[in-house]
Amino acid sequence: MTYRAICVIWLGAVLGVGRVAAQPTPGGGADTLRSVVLRPIVVTATRAEKALEDVAVPTTVLSAEAMRRQGATRLSEVLVTVPGLLLFDDHGTGLQVQGFAPEYTLILLDGEPVIGRTAGTLDLDRLMVQGLERVEIVRGPSSSLYGSEALAGVVNLITALPDQGEQLSATLRAGSFGTSEATLSAGVGRERAGLRLLLNRYASDGYDLTPASFGPTAPAFTDWTADARLRWDAAERLEVRLGGRISRQDQQGGFALTGPDGAAVRYDDRGHRVDWSLHPEAMLRLADRFRLTTTLYGAGYRTRVRQRRQQDDALYYADDFDQRYLKAEAQLDALWSARHLTSVGAGLVQERLGGDRYAGEADRAFPEARQRYAFLQHAWLPGASVELNASARYDAHDDYAARLTPRLALLLKPAEALRLRASIGSGFKAPAFRQLYLAFTNAAAGYSVFGSTRLAEGIARLQADGQLDQVLLDPAGLDPLRAESSVAVNVGGTVQPGPGLAVTVNGFYNDVHDLIETQPVARKTNGQFVYGYFNLARIYTRGVEAEVRLHPPVGPGHRAEVALGYQFLQARDREVVRALERGTVYGRDPGGREYRLGVADYTGLFGRSPHAATLQVRYDHLPSDLTASLRGRWRSRYGYSDLDGNGLANRPDEFVPAYAVFDATLTRAFPLARRAEAEVQLGVDNLFDVTRPAYVPSLPGRRWYAALRLSL
Amino acid sequence: MLCRIPMRILFVVLMGSLLLAACDTTGPEPEPEPLNVRLAADIEADPTSGRDPETGAPISNNLFTLYDLEAGEVVLSSSETDAAVRQQDSVSTVWDIGFRGTTIIFNGGTSGPGDAVAQLLAVPFADVTEAPADGYVADGENTCPAVQTPAGPVPGPPYAICTGSDNGWYNYNPQNNLVAPIPGRTIVLRSASGNYAKLRILSYYKGNPDPPDPTAPSRYYTFEYVLQPDGSRDLTTE
Repeated sequence: MTYRAICVIWLGAVLGVGRVAAQPTPGGGADTLRSVVLRPIVVTATRAEKALEDVAVPTTVLSAEAMRRQGATRLSEVLVTVPGLLLFDDHGTGLQVQGFAPEYTLILLDGEPVIGRTAGTLDLDRLMVQGLERVEIVRGPSSSLYGSEALAGVVNLITALPDQGEQLSATLRAGSFGTSEATLSAGVGRERAGLRLLLNRYASDGYDLTPASFGPTAPAFTDWTADARLRWDAAERLEVRLGGRISRQDQQGGFALTGPDGAAVRYDDRGHRVDWSLHPEAMLRLADRFRLTTTLYGAGYRTRVRQRRQQDDALYYADDFDQRYLKAEAQLDALWSARHLTSVGAGLVQERLGGDRYAGEADRAFPEARQRYAFLQHAWLPGASVELNASARYDAHDDYAARLTPRLALLLKPAEALRLRASIGSGFKAPAFRQLYLAFTNAAAGYSVFGSTRLAEGIARLQADGQLDQVLLDPAGLDPLRAESSVAVNVGGTVQPGPGLAVTVNGFYNDVHDLIETQPVARKTNGQFVYGYFNLARIYTRGVEAEVRLHPPVGPGHRAEVALGYQFLQARDREVVRALERGTVYGRDPGGREYRLGVADYTGLFGRSPHAATLQVRYDHLPSDLTASLRGRWRSRYGYSDLDGNGLANRPDEFVPAYAVFDATLTRAFPLARRAEAEVQLGVDNLFDVTRPAYVPSLPGRRWYAALRLSL
Repeated sequence: MLCRIPMRILFVVLMGSLLLAACDTTGPEPEPEPLNVRLAADIEADPTSGRDPETGAPISNNLFTLYDLEAGEVVLSSSETDAAVRQQDSVSTVWDIGFRGTTIIFNGGTSGPGDAVAQLLAVPFADVTEAPADGYVADGENTCPAVQTPAGPVPGPPYAICTGSDNGWYNYNPQNNLVAPIPGRTIVLRSASGNYAKLRILSYYKGNPDPPDPTAPSRYYTFEYVLQPDGSRDLTTE
């Protein structure tokens, strides 16, 4: 099926259904699926609206108001304040959930996947906070509802629906490192329809943590994002929504390489990125107890990198990448009774890749793959204090083995102030594009890497060219690559021992197998190897996330909130643990003495801090509409690299030392004439100017900023 | 008061052991000459002069440096390209061990005319006080676990000390392109002339930089070894 066919079928279905739905139906009254609740509502955990406290899997919500009063501009700044979430620098600012690298967390925009990852990392700085109503974070696997990538967790950005009436707001923000952000938002809404347009420009001069060497640590860039949201009650029982977004970025950096004569040769590094998404959705109430949601989602992500020698403008490196994603999905929610709710859905995804590294060796054809899936979820409330939620999803893909992913979650409410949650589920991550489709030879180093679907063809071609010395294994005899998968358990709960105090704890264990790694499959005549991808490694992550949230009584006219978060984490490779148990792993001290390392000496996978803590203090002076906010985050030392050949961090210089970063903002709103309002904000990120130049490039020094927001 | 008694006991034990040790060294029995740890620094192992822009292959002579452990000197350098000289030296039994890139060979089996054999122990260098009686192989005799694949292990190039990251003496870290000797690995060998020795690689980079520096010129071995010249397997050092 082609892109066009999917679109035509969907449009036809919506229009056809719309005509049927336009017929007045007797007794069509209140929407039984959505009751009016004043408690925070979330949708990510169950693909349906549900009160946050009644969700059986660990979920966190950040409101737009909280994000604004924090002075946040990009998603990374928001997520870093959440207990248990850490940032992970690898080709962009990624997110680490429950000890997993960024590629294992799914990022959604209104429930649909944001595409465009580099080396597995989806750069959180790409996503603006403006225009969002809330951000929902679900920890633990949700692959039983969302499929691939929802292995460690899901982050869902929910955009605000256009309000009734006319709104216009403008925000200007300027700060250190030439950083500026301007946002213009305009909305108009009636009871049955609403439209909001948003334009955002975000720019920075970049920064340089290593002035001794040529080239910035973070390049200068200019980011534009345009976003449109439309809601329309097309018929009495038909609600249509349309979301669209396009963003582009231009960045300018540079670097120096040592030339043959030992002198530094300077290069310009220019990057260009365009990504877009279009998301029409139609919700149809078939009868009082049934709701059908049909969705089309299209997204594109294109990057272009050019590196040129400064002295003569000669092209040194060029890379183009082009990803298209199209999805059609239908979901039926059936509320059988107050005790039984079933959701069933199915969909089709078509993906197309373009780019230098993915072109077929022989025919220059770009990979295209199709995926079909179906999911089923049933929520059962046997009593007032128990809810059981079971879900499962089946994914079939052209280029890797099909799989079934279940999850079972239980919520207990033994008392009004106590919620207990337990879930066991499976998560999976599809093989990345490079693991399936890469056809790459490093001209400088002489090795080749082939994705699993390209391996046989690549080996055959190298053999025909006489470039192979020895084929180590026959690619024809290999099983298809499997998705990386996990079994995870999350157990925890929330207790409110008194007014204004809530304690949330969650213990987690993720057992991950079939992690994909490269292995040599042939030796080339130049002595280098040809690599393929195989399901090999097993890891586990386990730990505890905890949060204490306190509203100290500060008297009328004031409001205060203190939140303390902590995470203990162990993320370990099973093979390393086995070797440590066998006693064959040693370290070597500067004097040359070799000492045996035991399991207790294992600090885990690189980039994982065993301990991390967050602090949030917020104070509101209500009469003057003033908010002061202080956020802190601390992480214990973590392994960075191996220098002494044992594959793990044990020498002191193999660790990034522990550090703490504090941010503070002061915000005050002033009422202007009629409904108009002005808001002034002063803030500082990284108050104590902490940097780790060689290790944490995303940690620039202290940054001041000031912002002004006007809304009519 | 409680800690006084243990302290006194400790003192007595300490004095006693000192006296015993003093008696030992003044004893009449002749001690065998203690062995020394010998160091070989920056032995070049076919260093590269760049990369071929067409094939990407490293440009080097693709030749071994041959080293004589008994004399503690290079017999034939990888920079020696005269075929006649190379032919003469490589067929001799003077050299014991050879280096080219990360590959290490021994003068025996498929690598040379001698009878040198070797094996890799997962034991710290200092703890190897006696060479094992068996377990040695000559180059070309063994199979190397070069590749663990879903289809089963596939043999790598047959050297006594296997090549490949984590298969032999080194670990390659693709994150920083560092080749680092694995700590706690000791090569034990019987040299071309039949003497036992233990050896450990300290660095693959010129100048043995600490911390190891992947940007330093590579293919320069610094290693230390203990050679027992009397033919016995005793490798005790002073």
